[in-house]
Order: sequence, then C-alpha cells, then structure tokens
Amino acid sequence: MNMKSEKFQNFTVLRIEGKIDTARSSVLEDEINRLFDNGEKNLIFNCKKMNYISSSGLRVFLVAQKKSTSLNGKLYLCNLQPGIQEIFRISGFSNLFKIFETQEAALENKQ
Amino acid sequence: MEKQKNKYFIIENKIDQLSSLAEKIEDLADEWKLSQDLTMKINLVIEEALSNIILYAFNDKDKHEIRISISIDKNNLEITIKDDGILFNPLAQKKPNINLPAEERPIGGLGIFLMSQIMDKMHYSRDKNQNILKLNKSI
Repeated sequence: MNMKSEKFQNFTVLRIEGKIDTARSSVLEDEINRLFDNGEKNLIFNCKKMNYISSSGLRVFLVAQKKSTSLNGKLYLCNLQPGIQEIFRISGFSNLFKIFETQEAALENKQ
Repeated sequence: MEKQKNKYFIIENKIDQLSSLAEKIEDLADEWKLSQDLTMKINLVIEEALSNIILYAFNDKDKHEIRISISIDKNNLEITIKDDGILFNPLAQKKPNINLPAEERPIGGLGIFLMSQIMDKMHYSRDKNQNILKLNKSI
C-alpha cells in the first residue's frame, strides 16, 4: 500500500494505492489521523489505484467519516474501481459516503 | 467435464501471515487463470475468515495451525477453513444493519457479513476440537 497527499483548493486529496487489508489498514488509519490532527477537515480519498479492501479497511473509512462529521468537515471518495464499488455496495457503504467518478467532480462537488 | 483443481495452504495464527498468503493465492489464481474479480473475492473471504480466527479463536499464546483448502471446478468454488480454536460459529452472529447512517453504524461486525454476501453457501461444523467452515460459490 502507498499513500500520497496533496492540497487542492480547500481540500486535501489522499491518494490510496494498493491493498487495504487487516495487516495494512492501521497504516492508513494513522495517515488519516495525521491529516485530521494537522487541521485538515475537508478530505478527498482518491481510490483510483486501490485494488483491494477488506472489512478492516472499510472500518478505517467509517471511522474517518464519523470523525469528519464531528468536525463539520467534508469527506468525499472518488475513482473507485468496479470491484471496490461492489464491496461498498454490498456492505451498505455506498450510502455512507459521497462518491464521485473523478477527482475533479469531487472538488467541484458535482455528482 | 473440466478436472477439479485443489490447493492446500497452512498458516500460523499470526496476522502478518495474511499478506503473504494473499500473494500465494494471487499466484495460484494466475496459474488457474481465474479472473481478477474472483481472485479478489477469494482473498477477501479468506482474509475475513482468518482474521476472525487469528484475533478471537485462541485463548493461549501457543502456535496454532490453520488449514485452508481451495478447490475449483468448472462451476463451483469451495473454500474450507479448519482451526483448533474455541467453538465459534460465524453463521450464528448477528447481521449488521447496513441501512443505518454513518453516525449510527457500529465499528466492525462487517467481515462475516461480507463473506455471506460474496459466497452462495456457508456451512459451519464442529468436529471434536476443530471448527470447520465450508464456503461455496457458483462461478
């Protein structure tokens, strides 16, 4: 798994790449917490190169969503691969997040 | 009819074994020419089952072996997982309510639900000191 974060307007985009499994999900959680601790409250997770997520990864997304809500922030997802979209759908997670097809659409909040 | 293919894996009850098992399963999927989608689902189901076993099935600090078998024929995928942990029937766990909003969604409890959504059939049995979980999916 790899991660990169970049500032775009008033959002911080976190690119999540590779596999978010039980062994690696805490690395993602630490990175997201670091962003929140730095005062970033508007986040976009760009999942273009994320090719695997298990329930432990979904848990990290859910914790981030709860944290974002408590901070009155925004948390958007974009560029989910079809297999990942299916996992989000069957777990009911599609309804918990604003999901955009592209990063540009997320930045403009255009669904 | 296409011949059935089988593969066995044995891992220890340590979370850090899961990533290397996933890589071995990817190699196997290449060899068996399985689709990327099916490979991801096999890995997901196995990870969910094994992480539950590794995290919750053992009360001691001893080394335990967990046995995984994967068999596949033209129309069916079967995954069997055996461990010698405490009696645990994943099928008897309460289903999460997936319609709750984020604020009310409990953290966790999703793994077994994902397994049940991906596979067509899940069967649990206890044989002496073993938990046996058998999972089937039409392909």
